[in-house]
Amino acid sequence: MLSEPKLKVLQDLIAGSSKEELLWINGYFNGVVANHQPSANGTAQASAVVTNKITIVYGTETGNSKALATQFAAKAKKSGINAKVFGSDQYRLTDLVKEEYFLVLMSTHGDGEAPDAAKKFYDHIVAGGFTLEKMKYSVLALGDTSYPLFCNVGENIDIEFDKMGAKRLVPIQKCDVEYEADATQWFDKVIQSLTQKTASAPTAAPVANGHAAPVSAKKVGKLAFTGNVLTNIDLNDRGSNKETYHIEIAAEGLEYQCGDSIGIVPENDSQLVTDIIAKTNIDGNKSLEYKKEKFTIYELLKRKINLIYLTERLVKQYADVTGHEIPVGRYDLLELVQKYPVKVPSQFEEILVGLNAISPRLYTLASSPKAHEGEVHIIVAKDVYTDSNGQQRKGLCSNYLSGLKVNGKQNFFIQPNKRFRLPADDKDIIMVGPGTGIAAFRSFLAERDATGATGRSWLFFGEQHFASDFLYQTEMQNWNETGVLTKINVAFSRDQKEKIYVQHRMLEHGESLYEWITGGASFYICGKKDPMSVDVENALLHIIEQYGKKTIEEAKKYLEQMKEEGRYEKDVY
Amino acid sequence: MAEKKLTAIEGIKVASDGLRGTIKESLLDEITGAIREDDKALIKFHGMYEQDDRDRREERAAKKLDRLYSFMIRLRLPGGLISAEKWIACNNIANENSTGVIKITTRETIQLHGLYKSKIKPTIQAFNTAHLDSIATCGDVNRNVTCASNPALSTVHEEVFAYADKISNLLMPKTKAYYQIWVDNEMLIDKKEEEDPLYQKHYLPRKFKIGIAIPPNNDSDVFINDIGLVAIVEKDKLIGFNIAIGGGLSATHGNAETYARLATVIGFTDTEEKTLRTIYEILTVQRDFGNRTDRKLARLKYTVDKLGVDKFKEEVEARIGFKLAPAKPFEFTERKDIYGWKKSNKGLWYYTVFVENGRVLDDEQVALKTALLEVAKLNKCNFMFTATQNIIISDVADKNKAAIEEVLRKFKIIEHTEGASLLRKNAIACVALPTCPLALAEAQRYMPEMISKMEPLLEKHKIADQELIVRMTGCPNGCGRSAASEIGFIGTHPGRYNLHIGGDNEGLRLNTKYKESLNEAELLAEMDSLFGLYNKERNKGETFGDFTIRKQLVK
Ligand code: SRM
Ligand SMILES: Cc1cc2nc3c(=O)[nH]c(=O)nc-3n(C[C@H](O)[C@H](O)[C@H](O)COP(=O)(O)OP(=O)(O)OC[C@H]3O[C@@H](n4cnc5c(N)ncnc54)[C@H](O)[C@@H]3O)c2cc1C
Ligand SMILES: Cc1cc2nc3c(=O)[nH]c(=O)nc-3n(C[C@H](O)[C@H](O)[C@H](O)COP(=O)(O)O)c2cc1C
Ligand code: SF4
Repeated sequence: MLSEPKLKVLQDLIAGSSKEELLWINGYFNGVVANHQPSANGTAQASAVVTNKITIVYGTETGNSKALATQFAAKAKKSGINAKVFGSDQYRLTDLVKEEYFLVLMSTHGDGEAPDAAKKFYDHIVAGGFTLEKMKYSVLALGDTSYPLFCNVGENIDIEFDKMGAKRLVPIQKCDVEYEADATQWFDKVIQSLTQKTASAPTAAPVANGHAAPVSAKKVGKLAFTGNVLTNIDLNDRGSNKETYHIEIAAEGLEYQCGDSIGIVPENDSQLVTDIIAKTNIDGNKSLEYKKEKFTIYELLKRKINLIYLTERLVKQYADVTGHEIPVGRYDLLELVQKYPVKVPSQFEEILVGLNAISPRLYTLASSPKAHEGEVHIIVAKDVYTDSNGQQRKGLCSNYLSGLKVNGKQNFFIQPNKRFRLPADDKDIIMVGPGTGIAAFRSFLAERDATGATGRSWLFFGEQHFASDFLYQTEMQNWNETGVLTKINVAFSRDQKEKIYVQHRMLEHGESLYEWITGGASFYICGKKDPMSVDVENALLHIIEQYGKKTIEEAKKYLEQMKEEGRYEKDVY
Repeated sequence: MAEKKLTAIEGIKVASDGLRGTIKESLLDEITGAIREDDKALIKFHGMYEQDDRDRREERAAKKLDRLYSFMIRLRLPGGLISAEKWIACNNIANENSTGVIKITTRETIQLHGLYKSKIKPTIQAFNTAHLDSIATCGDVNRNVTCASNPALSTVHEEVFAYADKISNLLMPKTKAYYQIWVDNEMLIDKKEEEDPLYQKHYLPRKFKIGIAIPPNNDSDVFINDIGLVAIVEKDKLIGFNIAIGGGLSATHGNAETYARLATVIGFTDTEEKTLRTIYEILTVQRDFGNRTDRKLARLKYTVDKLGVDKFKEEVEARIGFKLAPAKPFEFTERKDIYGWKKSNKGLWYYTVFVENGRVLDDEQVALKTALLEVAKLNKCNFMFTATQNIIISDVADKNKAAIEEVLRKFKIIEHTEGASLLRKNAIACVALPTCPLALAEAQRYMPEMISKMEPLLEKHKIADQELIVRMTGCPNGCGRSAASEIGFIGTHPGRYNLHIGGDNEGLRLNTKYKESLNEAELLAEMDSLFGLYNKERNKGETFGDFTIRKQLVK
């Protein structure tokens, strides 16, 4: 296959080398091959011209994409490429059409949605209505295969760009929670396509020992644990409209930081599972492959597959397979098998494998590794809602957790949130955490108590009634006594005629809040996204506007500035 | 005797700037339902007590919730008289801000329980617009003045009754803090107006109580007061008062220095001027001689015994500038409320409604609260509260009697009142659990059940026709005047009571401990045998109390 001259060079090289050298060369070539398919397959890259300028835009919720973006920018510099990095909310959308070399690092959140800060960016692209002839791009999509719409957002961006006439530098790379290895490889390819240089020694170096090169990845993905339930108490007193459970779980080898969450995959109700099996006469013990793993059908239904509130897409699939006419909408699987029976069990199997996995529910940690060693604490609000049939129903996971038995086992994983972190010990913090939002701040305060941090702290908490709903009241009182909690203001919405919420308390204390902020305090929001986090942000803007004597535009800029400095962070849902 | 340290409360009073302390700041503290330690002592002078629901402590602690703090407020109603509109106001305020239960107290006024801190100001302001206040109903001052209740029982009632008001006003603290803190924060105070020659800066060493009775009925239990006034009536004219001093019922388990005591008559005054002066100076003597180093020994009764009755009397006479006339003879033959309709010599009607343990609410048996509200809405009567925790629908003109009676029938209040046994109608129980922090055992929550278990015993021994006076308190403080009853249950531990017997029926002799710390079964067994004995061996017309003394069952 090699041309004469090339073959000669090689043979001379082999002849003049020791066994060790040969092994090294062998490994070296492996490395070269592994990292260099493009030029290996001969044909030149799309239109790879050397450039020294690229733009990286990242969209992040929990900080992974951002971390990668900055890490890659540094790496690019080493290869003589200057990379401009933007958070997708900082990026001027009108610049998109001018871009030449453009990288997108984007995670997916919610159920298949863009991170909050990336919504505008994403919507702008999806809305389309412009072309991107000049652009050469690639997308790194961060995601988690345990969610039905894996890397949905990155994927769509990749497709849209293509439609708009942009050219791919390298194909989209979708990453699961263990993303670092894939991400680094993807970026190496990008660099190569930009510089036509063959893989530089550093990338190949790891193979010097002769083995094929596994790209070492720091362990940042899902740390899974099986814990022992220590406590489960409803924090609300009699007569409350709420049920909010404080749950403590002990586990070996825990590793997490304040601001992280834990993820729990709820199981389906056994009754529901047996009903479905009965209705479809499927054999519960028969084993079936789902996402490349084998399970008995009972297992699948009980632990793996989401049976509730199926998406319209899945309902349509069901209709197609069974040949029934089913009005567009979301249904529970039981409802479907009852109203629109499957013909034969095999048909049902076909449907099953197409269904979504149960997605993990996240709970912000209310504990601190320093204060509660070997334990995670969470606070869970029992979710009650009315379904389309006007029936009162309980949330799957929160209801399951509310009944968690002490001394029982519980699986969970740690979901890190790199952005939601305590600042340096001497920095002030302002925390707005009504309802279950208190979780993150119980964690923060416990940590600062344990470390003896010197920065001041100010908490805004809210609920319905002082007498029955003041979550962690005695702990907050103690921290207030000992000075760990410098200030605390509470809003109980239903203790008086007019409704009072945390944002009202913020406004009452606006002047002093503004002093704290201009003094360098970090501002955190944890809890319900709507309407709480929105109202709180507006209140904050209003305060900056009023006491900073700014226009609303300037106030918004100021808040942007705080975001960039990592002084304005949200953990909202 | 070496100088003992003044009690903490003495310091708090003096430093309080006219009972203000840091109450305003306490009210602003968002994260606790409680108020600051010192302020707890001060709000009593404004008629309130901080309490917490003792039933809920453990459960709330597990939920990481603070104690369920709330406040009890007690109105100032000299002689326990209140108009129909005012009753309606109380009813509505109770529904708005408190547990909703209106509690008639053994000192002829009412209490609301379970006000959260945030509700105190709205409550007091609402009372204020209804021309009601809670000033000096608690604290080291003169408390609500009690008076013989039933106008139908005496020609001089109106005249005597007026004294309750006069005395109450004479002995009111001068500070305007109450209005400044609770009603109108902005009001400016001329501190001169606040100078208080009676209470000065340190007030009295302890609470102070005054009651008035009109023989022959001692319904107001006059001798349990620090000062008891016995109206002396000749030919249907009030000629003055016998003055008695040093009553008080509280004793502390295991503290031999403490004891219950009935007031000692020290003389007679014939004019209003003299009577009021004498009362006033008795307070100043107590102010100057009372014990301020030990609150358990600070009541007037201990001052009187420390100085000796004669020495004390001399000191008072020195201050009033005249000698007290010798006491006039008088006789009490009963100590009870007279239920049902009674007509006064002025031709007005009075209906005494039975209110078990003074708790006005709607329950399974009877919708008493609604009934009284309906009666009040007719706006044809006043309401009076009795020292036995009942209500008298008062001052009803002939022409209005039918309308009121109709409501009483409609709500079965008449059945309810007539239907209750004598035993039940003469009984008293204090509040005790769950609100009273000093309670050692149940009282008003348990007494009705206890009575139901005693009734068959009385039937069994054929003594159900006796005006037996039974009283229960959750501790030996004696708020239900258990020390002054024929049968007294005095709480020692949850479910256990000391059994006291030997008190007379008229309130002139205290009872004494017969058996210690009995549970229900033991109490019933003891009473079974006592009643059996009484039935067999009593003399004609001999009361149970007198019988137990004659038989020397107690010394
Ligand atoms: C409501 C009432 C009992 C009732 O069921 O009616 C009552 C209830 C309380 N009394 Fe009393 N006393 C009440 C009449 C009495 C009486 C009877 C009387 O005055 O006719 C006595 C015995 C007579 C006497 O004063 O000696 C009485 C002797 C006490 C004492 C003992 C005082 C002493 O000399 O040591 C205390 C404890 C104290 O003051 O330290 C006390 C304290 C209390 C407190 C405030 C407990 C406390 O200090 O925190 C109780 C509040 C319970 C609650 O939740 O409401 N209460 N208290 C009565 C209110 C009267 C009023 O309207 O002012
Ligand atoms: C980062 C993060 C942190 C979080 N932290 C906390 C925390 O600290 N504490 C906490 O309590 N929660 C927290 N949550 C929320 C939590 O993860 C769950 O979303 C919540 O517990 C509800 O889950 P569930 O399984 O009980 O309810 P689900 O069964 O998932 O239902 C949730 C909602 O979906 C809708 N729905 C579901 N089924 C139907 C149907 N058949 N018909 C109509 N509507 C339907 C309803 O609106 C319902 O309210 C957090 C979420 C995130 C993303
Ligand atoms: C609340 C939540 C919802 C998520 N939903 C999805 C999803 O629908 N699809 C998916 O592929 N990944 C999903 N993920 C996984 C994240 O995309 C993944 O953790 C990623 O590493 C986060 O990157 P970031 O820190 O840059 O936001 C979700 C994560 C969270 C916390
Ligand atoms: S007697 Fe004791 S228990 Fe009863 S109310 Fe008075 S202080 Fe409380």
